[in-house]
Amino acid sequence: MSAALKDMIRNPTVAELELVARYAALKADPRRERLFEAFAQTGLPHRRHEEWRWSDFKAAVTALDTPATPPAADPLATEGVATLKFTPQGYTAPASLPPGLRLLAKEEVQAMSGAEDAPLGALAAALSGAKNSPATLLAEVTGEAPVRLHMVFSGPGAINAARVVFLLRPGARLEVSESHLGGAALSTALVEYTLQERAKLSRIVYQRGGKTEAQAITALIHQDAGAETKQTVLAFGAKVARIETRLVHQETGSHATLNAAYLAGDGYHIDFTSHVRHGARACTTRQVTKGAVLDGGRGVFQGKFHVPRNAGQQTDASMQHNALLLEEGAEVFAKPELEILADDVQCAHGNTSGALDQNQLFYLRQRGIPLEKARALLTEAFIAEALEQAGPHEDALRAEASQWLAI
Amino acid sequence: MLKIQNLSATVGEGEAAKTIINGLSLEVPAGEVHAIMGPNGAGKSTLSYVLTGRDGYAVTGGAATLDGQDILAMEPEARATAGLFLSFQYPVEIPGVPVMTFVRTAMNAQRKARGEPEISAPDYLKKSREVAKMLNLDADMLKRPVNVGFSGGEKKRLEIYQMLMLEPRFMVLDETDSGLDIDALRTVAEGVNALRAPERGMLVITHYQRLLDHIKPDKVHVLAKGRIIKTGGPELALRLEKEGYDGVLAEAV
Repeated sequence: MSAALKDMIRNPTVAELELVARYAALKADPRRERLFEAFAQTGLPHRRHEEWRWSDFKAAVTALDTPATPPAADPLATEGVATLKFTPQGYTAPASLPPGLRLLAKEEVQAMSGAEDAPLGALAAALSGAKNSPATLLAEVTGEAPVRLHMVFSGPGAINAARVVFLLRPGARLEVSESHLGGAALSTALVEYTLQERAKLSRIVYQRGGKTEAQAITALIHQDAGAETKQTVLAFGAKVARIETRLVHQETGSHATLNAAYLAGDGYHIDFTSHVRHGARACTTRQVTKGAVLDGGRGVFQGKFHVPRNAGQQTDASMQHNALLLEEGAEVFAKPELEILADDVQCAHGNTSGALDQNQLFYLRQRGIPLEKARALLTEAFIAEALEQAGPHEDALRAEASQWLAI
Repeated sequence: MLKIQNLSATVGEGEAAKTIINGLSLEVPAGEVHAIMGPNGAGKSTLSYVLTGRDGYAVTGGAATLDGQDILAMEPEARATAGLFLSFQYPVEIPGVPVMTFVRTAMNAQRKARGEPEISAPDYLKKSREVAKMLNLDADMLKRPVNVGFSGGEKKRLEIYQMLMLEPRFMVLDETDSGLDIDALRTVAEGVNALRAPERGMLVITHYQRLLDHIKPDKVHVLAKGRIIKTGGPELALRLEKEGYDGVLAEAV
């Protein structure tokens, strides 16, 4: 490796040097270089970067060896729905795609907006194009009929880096589910959605990784006038897992619902980070995040609404994060942020964390429900609100949650 | 059936612990309904919580048995499975858990603990319809989350609904009459009376005689300062209603 390459990341770790080597082995491309530089500015993000203070990837990713644990099972797989698979060995798509969906595998790397703000997203973009995958996978959705698509990101392997760029044409509707099942030492996925006028996106995300893995899922969503996104995430974490959504309302009357539930057991870490920019008048955002954490588990919520002075007038936005600390030793860190510069806006936020209600527990037990079952019932009810907009996937997500709670 | 002997209990912890039940003895034989009356702060609700095993109460002496079983040593859910039911003075709201889910889960948990088969969904629904009809409960209410948005009267009727579904062997009714209008009181009493049986017992805690017009007690106990100071027949409740507690309290000294 040349000195110039080695110097791209300051004081690199062994894992970071391997990332540099992987980058260097790919076909040279000026856009790829810019993306990797955007990643290299921070390297694997760590606690001294304000946005990553609770989620230290540098410390978590010690070696890029294939983990001993296989990827998790996929609860969202549905018979008859086209499935794209992204693995460390490459990418596969079905021979026939639903009408209204067109895939374009491009040999050139496409630029990414705000790459510096999302270093692990930039890394996914900089490393895509290895082996059997395109440098950029474009997916175009057209027509009024809803297009259903499933995507699976799963190992085994050392690194699973994937990128998909969606373009929803005016009035198009996409119902996409993503299963991020781990199985690689480092999994990083970048999924971009551009919604043109009146386009509608329903996005369901299921994340489950192993105790020795690091996982990052970065979504960039841009919305034109009258566009709408409904997102529901259910996450179980990994050694460290970051689920980041960066959404821009760029034209009037665009709407977003961003819901998420997390369940963190012993040794699991889940970070939900979202950044919503109200860059146009009269846009709405509804965000509900619910979490439950056991002893040795860790939940992180960082939510930010940015409402610029002129553009953001008549913004209507609310952010809610509620966490249950189910046992002593459970940890939750939350940082809700509203940066409101416009004056004619409605913005609300609420943030709580605490134990289960003792009165409720006693009431259930007095009726004969054993303590463990009572806890599970109350916890399931607590997170249910975050899953209720998952449409046809609600039952599958709830079943996964209750199975976890029953353990 | 229920036998309480020289029971003492405190509420609160450490230095702040306060004795609320102070040498209380009481026996309710199978087939009987006993009423407990007494002024505010006498320890009526505390007695119901100590019997059912709520956290925050410590038994410092005495014993309580249900059919010879030491209930004080059991977890709250085991006491429920043994047949002890508390109709709460303030029923608790459980957002996100529909009444049906809650009651069926409770029923099956009790059955499982007793080694009985679970109730099937059709059998449950059939029974639920009958009970709801008796209590004038709207079927829609049973699909809603437990007690959320219910009026005071609806909450009390839902307590009785649960009691009729679970068919406990011993019932403690803690001020079930509070918050009820006359019609609701009659409906609730009808539900309670439906469970009177030779093998069941009941302890009715109340402030007022009017509930006892509908649920006729075999005995009335007056509770003051954590112990039973007087026991009599139904006429004792009438006397308390007329004279207040002062007379009875003065006699006891």
